[in-house]
Amino acid sequence: MILPRLQDAADNAEVKVSARNVNVFYGQTHAIKDVSLDIADKSVTAFIGPSGCGKSTFLRCINRMNDTIEGCRVTGTLLLDGEDIYAPAVDPVQLRARVGMVFQKPNPFPKSIYDNVAYGPRIHGLAAGKAELDAIVEEALRKAALWNEVKDRLDAPGTGLSGGQQQRLCIARAIATQPEVLLMDEPCSALDPIATAQIEELIEELREGFSVVIVTHSMQQAARVSQKTAFFHMGTMVEYDDTTRIFTNPSDQRTQDYITGRFG
Amino acid sequence: MTGSDPKSAHIVSSYDEDLAALQARVAEMGGLAEAMLADAIEALRKRDVERCREVVARDKRLDELEAEIEARAIRIIALRAPVAFDLRLVVACMRMSSTLERVGDLAKNVAKRGIDLAAAGPLPMMGSIARMGEAARRQLSEALDAFVSRDSELALSVWRRDVEIDELYESLFREVVTYMMEDPRTITLGSHCMFIAKNLERVGDHATHVAELAYYVVEGEPLDGERPRGTASDAPTG
Repeated sequence: MILPRLQDAADNAEVKVSARNVNVFYGQTHAIKDVSLDIADKSVTAFIGPSGCGKSTFLRCINRMNDTIEGCRVTGTLLLDGEDIYAPAVDPVQLRARVGMVFQKPNPFPKSIYDNVAYGPRIHGLAAGKAELDAIVEEALRKAALWNEVKDRLDAPGTGLSGGQQQRLCIARAIATQPEVLLMDEPCSALDPIATAQIEELIEELREGFSVVIVTHSMQQAARVSQKTAFFHMGTMVEYDDTTRIFTNPSDQRTQDYITGRFG
Repeated sequence: MTGSDPKSAHIVSSYDEDLAALQARVAEMGGLAEAMLADAIEALRKRDVERCREVVARDKRLDELEAEIEARAIRIIALRAPVAFDLRLVVACMRMSSTLERVGDLAKNVAKRGIDLAAAGPLPMMGSIARMGEAARRQLSEALDAFVSRDSELALSVWRRDVEIDELYESLFREVVTYMMEDPRTITLGSHCMFIAKNLERVGDHATHVAELAYYVVEGEPLDGERPRGTASDAPTG
């Protein structure tokens, strides 16, 4: 499906995810109102906005996590590489292999470090044998900048790692299925500044291979890691522009008021 | 466009207090620099040595304010991480303070030369110098108004008008050269006048910079493009 390009979106970059007139309802609540934007490939896009503005809800539309919520209805068009994410033929489990997700609190499975990472490749049948699976696990752990810290204790439980390590393990788990898009919902809010910096460094590296979309409450984090920033407020997307522009000269008064700390 | 200040206050009210205190110091510096310049020109014209000395002494306060503004701005950047309008305002205040400090230095220099010139009796080119000084003071005054009242239209008009000071400088330059050629005994006094004219021309440039900062704070974009220039090649504009 070909959609007209949005003027203010991902210029000069390949569009990975396109949203047009997306609305989300939770029962009677209109949580997302007519959001249209293009998310570029091989770049980091940040969603910012006050609590309840809809940024996480919108993020969760991209891999159909909202399907699991009772009474949730999504209208409008969401495309991944031009294909409708919400088409009846699309299997949400297969979709989530292409669109990975990392959550606010590190949530490793109560399994070994190895099995945490091997879980996705196993259920999707990505490895032909033990050697191939070993290679996938090592590569994912290396990309998540965790390999050197855990290579001698891959059989240890994932839950025994520090918070920052657990979050990097979850990132390794998310990228082990070789997704094309990585969704991150406040991935650093439970981490200390050092672990946060490590995740941010990782995001910068992941950008070379993935389209990364990050929801964050930390404006400074959005400023540090992203190339594009979208500001959400009360279910609408108020402004979407180059991150540099958003933080030096935003066009909308509401964006300005939010990022300068003038309303909550 | 006028008045781009965000309508609502910061949630953290001490942040607003910090920004208000910073701007109050910049406003004080602007007032002092403008008054110093006006008094230096007046004292020069009236050959009032006492007043010249008093202008020279006042420069110290500007230096103190510059240091204070810089310290306050650094503190806000470190502790508040300003963005958008706030960031532009803090950066502009820092640059305003160093610009106004230089205006103070130039006014001081004019006053110092006024002490030397006072003994020489009335000079024929003093009328032109006073006119040029008044033009520079007016430019500075309006640029400061544009900054304080967030008036980017006024800033733009000040920015375009610097060409008038350049023209006054050029004609004064020729006038002084003519006197010096006619009577070599006037070379010492003429040189003083030349430097005074140059200083006033520099004040005009600094006023232009203040106008640029005023525009940037409001519009978020730098004033770009070639500014009209008024001087011919025989008068150095440096």
